[in-house]
Amino acid sequence: MDTTGGRERTKIQTHVSLSLWLRSALFHTYLRRFILLWIAGKIANAVTARAIHLPPFGFRPGTEIVTLAFELGVIVIFIKRSNEDILLGNLGMRLPAAIAPLAIVHLVLSATLAVLAR
Amino acid sequence: MNAPVLAGDSITLALGGKPILEAAYVDAVRGAITALVGRSGAGKTTFFKVLVGQRRPARGQVRWRGERIARPSLPLLAREGLFYHPERPWLARHLTFVDHMALCGKRDWARVAEVLGITGWVRQKVGSLSGGELRLTELAFGFALQPAVALLDEPFRGLEPLHREQVAQALRSLAHDGAAVLYADHDVESVQRTADRLFSMEGGATRLVEGFRERPLHEWYHAWPSLK
Repeated sequence: MDTTGGRERTKIQTHVSLSLWLRSALFHTYLRRFILLWIAGKIANAVTARAIHLPPFGFRPGTEIVTLAFELGVIVIFIKRSNEDILLGNLGMRLPAAIAPLAIVHLVLSATLAVLAR
Repeated sequence: MNAPVLAGDSITLALGGKPILEAAYVDAVRGAITALVGRSGAGKTTFFKVLVGQRRPARGQVRWRGERIARPSLPLLAREGLFYHPERPWLARHLTFVDHMALCGKRDWARVAEVLGITGWVRQKVGSLSGGELRLTELAFGFALQPAVALLDEPFRGLEPLHREQVAQALRSLAHDGAAVLYADHDVESVQRTADRLFSMEGGATRLVEGFRERPLHEWYHAWPSLK
C-alpha cells in the first residue's frame, strides 16, 4: 500500500468536490429515484388541484415545499436503510449536503412544467 | 509510545436504562494496531458508535489529536482522516468497487486490491458478492483512502483463514505507513497474532492489557468462555 514512509498523516487523501459528486454513479442513482418521486408527487398534486379548480401544474410555493420535504425524506430513508450514510460519511460528506442538489432539481422541474403548462 | 490520535475518554452510556459503558477509555495511536476485545454485547460496537457520533454519551469525551470534539460526527472525522468500518454492510449495492473509487476520484487502488485479494471482482456489483467478499471490498475501499485512523468493527468476522491473513497483512501495512488502527474483535488468537496493543472490555469498563501476547490462550478462555 503506498506510502507515506511512516510520516504522520494529517488529512484523508480524498476530497469529494461538488462536481465530482454530481457526476458520480451514486448521485445519479439518487437523482433517478428522486425524479420518479417528483413525477408521483406531481401527479398527486395535479389530481388534488383539479378537484379544487386550480391549474393542475401551477407552481404554488407552499405545495412545492411540502412536496419537496416529502421527497427528500423518502430519499433519506432509502439512504439510511442501505447504510449509505456511512459511505457518504467516510467520504466526508454530510447527508444534507449530498442531497441538497436534489432540491434545485425539484424547483427547476416544477417551474419548467408550470411554464410549459400555461 | 506515540500520543493517541483518537481517544474515547471516560465514556459512560446507558441504553433503555441499562448501563452499557462505564467510564470506558480506549485510544488509537499512530503506527500501531490496537485491538478492543470483549464478549458479544460487551459494548464494543456502542463504544465505536460514540467515537463517530452515532451515540451521545451521558458523560465522557471524544478526543482527536488531543483536542476534545464537542459534537463528533463521521463526516467531520473523515475529513480529518478517519475511516470507519461498521459491522453492517455499507457500500452501495448497485455499484462496483471501481465505481466507489471513482466517487472519491481515487485511481491508485490496485495495490490495496491486490493485498486484499479482491482484484477478481472489482468490476462486479457489490450486491452480488458473498459476505466475505463484501467485507474485503469494504476494507479495500477504506484502506485505499489512506486513512490516518482506521476504526474497524469486527473486520475479520465471516472471513476464511486466507482472507483473515490478507486483512491482517493490510492492517500491518496501514500501521507501518503511519496510520493508527483500532479494531474490535472477540477472537483472542487472531488478536495475539495481529495487534500491538490490547484493551479488554468487560461489563462496559475497559483496561489496557499488558503482555497479552505471552498469556496462554486457555487463560483467556477460562476468564471469558464466550471468547473463541
